[in-house]
Amino acid sequence: MSWTIASLRQHLQAALAVEHATIPPYFTAWISIKDNTNIAAAEIIRSVMLEEMLHLTLAANLLNAVGGTPSLTHQGFVPRYPHRLPFSGDRFDIDIERFSKRALRTFLAIERPEGPRAKPEAKKFHTIAQFYAAVRDGIDELCERHGERKVFTGKAARQIRPDAYYGAGTIVVVAGRDSAHRAIAEVCEQGEGVHDSVFDADHNVTGSGKEPAHYYRFQQLLKGREYRKGDTPKAGPTGARIEVDFRAVHPITPNARATDYPKGSPIRGALEAFGHGYGQLLASLEGAYNGAPDRLTEAIARMFALRDQARALMQTPSGDGRNTVGLDFTPPRAG
Amino acid sequence: MSAHYDAVIVGGGVMGALVARVLSQAGKSVLILEAGIEGAMNPDTYRQYLQTLYTEGWWRGLPNGPYPWNASAPSPGIPSPPNGAAYPYYQYATNLHFLSDYLRMLGGTTLHWQGTSMRLVPNDFRMRSAYGQAENWPITYDDLEPAYRRAEAELGVSADVEDQRIFGVWFPEGYVYPMHRMPQSRVDRFFDGALQGKTVKLAGGTYPLKVISIPVARNSTPNPTYNLGEGYDAVPAASDRDQGQRCQGNSVCMPICPVQAKYTALKTIALLARQPTVVIRTQSVASKLLIDKESGRITGVEYKRYDKPGSPTFALETAHGTLVVLAANAIENATLLLASNAANSSGQVGRNLMDHPYLYVWGLAKSRVFPFRGPDTTSGVESLRDGQFRKVHASFRASLSNWGWSGEPGNTIKTLLQANIYGKALRAQLADQMTRMVKIGFMFEQLPSADNRVTIDQRYRDGLGNYRPVLSYQYQDYSLKGIEAAVNTVWPAITGYAGIENKTSYPAGAPGYQHVAYNGAGYNLMGSGHIVGTHRMGSHRKDSVTDRNMKSWDHPNLYVVGTGNQVTIGTANPTLTGAALSIRAADAMLQDLR
Repeated sequence: MSWTIASLRQHLQAALAVEHATIPPYFTAWISIKDNTNIAAAEIIRSVMLEEMLHLTLAANLLNAVGGTPSLTHQGFVPRYPHRLPFSGDRFDIDIERFSKRALRTFLAIERPEGPRAKPEAKKFHTIAQFYAAVRDGIDELCERHGERKVFTGKAARQIRPDAYYGAGTIVVVAGRDSAHRAIAEVCEQGEGVHDSVFDADHNVTGSGKEPAHYYRFQQLLKGREYRKGDTPKAGPTGARIEVDFRAVHPITPNARATDYPKGSPIRGALEAFGHGYGQLLASLEGAYNGAPDRLTEAIARMFALRDQARALMQTPSGDGRNTVGLDFTPPRAG
Repeated sequence: MSAHYDAVIVGGGVMGALVARVLSQAGKSVLILEAGIEGAMNPDTYRQYLQTLYTEGWWRGLPNGPYPWNASAPSPGIPSPPNGAAYPYYQYATNLHFLSDYLRMLGGTTLHWQGTSMRLVPNDFRMRSAYGQAENWPITYDDLEPAYRRAEAELGVSADVEDQRIFGVWFPEGYVYPMHRMPQSRVDRFFDGALQGKTVKLAGGTYPLKVISIPVARNSTPNPTYNLGEGYDAVPAASDRDQGQRCQGNSVCMPICPVQAKYTALKTIALLARQPTVVIRTQSVASKLLIDKESGRITGVEYKRYDKPGSPTFALETAHGTLVVLAANAIENATLLLASNAANSSGQVGRNLMDHPYLYVWGLAKSRVFPFRGPDTTSGVESLRDGQFRKVHASFRASLSNWGWSGEPGNTIKTLLQANIYGKALRAQLADQMTRMVKIGFMFEQLPSADNRVTIDQRYRDGLGNYRPVLSYQYQDYSLKGIEAAVNTVWPAITGYAGIENKTSYPAGAPGYQHVAYNGAGYNLMGSGHIVGTHRMGSHRKDSVTDRNMKSWDHPNLYVVGTGNQVTIGTANPTLTGAALSIRAADAMLQDLR
């Protein structure tokens, strides 16, 4: 395939969508863990979720750098779960569900590392890493064809900078081909690891100690054991035991929908309020990614509000005699 | 044969950790002896203390209550089993009590501090010359200024330089704090608006009532222009890089920030733990300095190493260092020096114990100010920290509380229920009152006094047989006159300008306070936790314990660091000044170790 600036922007907008699509399921699994239980599991899921938020922001920086306009509020940006993740080879669906072995297997599928010989393909991507590798090649191709300055036409003021962003890993300000490569490397290494290693590359960047890449971080919870230095993917983790209690979890309804509950009922109202809040969060982020980085502060306040709303929903009986209410991230339709 | 270190540091709190950081960065070997347990350094234990705060803090007492009693290295302010006496560690030699505490655990008292980190003002260093009170320090503000900047980097201080240029406090051209000031609360803006351009009369002079932001060692937004554009990386939690890069407004802050956005010495210790030349030994209580009679050199630090907190058994070991550094808090430093009969040719060890007597005033604003959100305090009335009135009475600062009145909403609910108000009326009244609650904490200057002191007594020992501090403490007229001025003049001026209905009263016998009568009025005082002055620095060996570099006059290889060196207390919360002093002392140690 031959790249154009327009197709590069389309791919980077798709990157925003795919990075975002993992956040609701991770958030749900994290919040479903009861207070003061499964501390290692909660920390691991939260840490991966934070890195997905970083990746979302890096994707926005990449898109802005090539003169694009990140969009997070258009109809359908929040997928309807169960959701088939793009660039995953159509192998599995993602649900909005409680922390469980089943959820962990889905998370492993999301984060599965690319095989060593997997090459970027023209149209169909089997892993997210393949997709990013293709984007990187696209950037190179366009730079060679048009020159770097004709590709990276975005305004510097639209970049999210380290003083505006905090969280796991390093925000990369994208100003050209080299920094674009660095941003993509940050995404791929945190997510899928480096070559044959269990550990991601963050220690090189931040000096803050090694952490297993997402796939292996989740795998520790299924294996009940931590990876430690020297462990290989093949041999598995040999570090300290991790206690996981799959019963200490709120029994939430999977893929809940506000519309499952009667109009005017308190649960419907609370779920709609949650969806509305989620829509507002995306609007704040979209604003931040479109020239108003200060709006990240507003987004963070909304995240905390959503956390508290989610906790309340997960402790509210759904009425089926077994489960509690789940989460519905769908923002209300405009108008 | 035991190892020999370049420096043996007694105390694993902020002062010891900062000295270790400076020394180890220069490649020096360091042993830190920490009396307490590793405790909060372990993330699971940190979380457990936080839970204790949430579930039992209300009866265990604050700020030290969430931490466990340890009979082998006791801390004041922690209820001890079985009877739960609140201050089982101090022994008092006076009717009045010293009400401030500290924590003996790795990380020290920064595990419960507020984080407030303003500098002293220049006249605090020269009270004798400026106002004929107390003594001058052997160093000036100008001497300490570079170390203040380094302390602000280590602690991660968020503040605004323009706000802090008061009373001659200066910064080098282009300096900015590592992080922007904390956002100002609605309470702050309410007071700021009401007091714009307003003044008050004190001791015949007229002074502004000016609200400014408070520097605090809490992660806000890093300032990209810090350090000539290099910027500043906010230091996350000691054990979790994904936590604490920013204050989240959990409104817990003190004693325990749930995410470690507030600085604790654990963050510095986490950095030290990666240095191969640093050894940290916990559960090791220094009990005696060994002194060579001829040279006066400290030849070793005898310490009691215990396996199990509370067990009376221990191993007696000796640590050896070219230099010995006491960094164990002002009261513990004094106790250890007295127990070792060391550094006391001046007779000043343990004397000049100071704190900021603390007094609340409170009332109801006419309109809603929405307290109970954000960090406990983000601004203060800082314009009365210096002035000619200091010839007559104490200066003070007024810390604006973002957390409404104390003991709420419990007290208001109880009062309303007793008045038979229930249901919707109860909710309406609560919403009306809670949203209008304002409170100010006044902190008063105290002068050094030879009679406010730490001593030791054969009869009073702890679980390992070490001396417990015996404390004598009084409030002088100088402070009490300042309290009078605050309550009779400043607070009425503020309530008048801001339209606040005063609700303050000081009933005798209120639990948690020390009721003090003065000129026919009574005040319920507390401590501020600002423990200062027990081994003052000076220009002459006859009237001070340490020299301008905090080296003992009597022992050529002994340094005593931290807030105990302060000649005066001024009105700044002292940790930042103690940190700057400790960094300055560490520079002098490096000269000695050349």
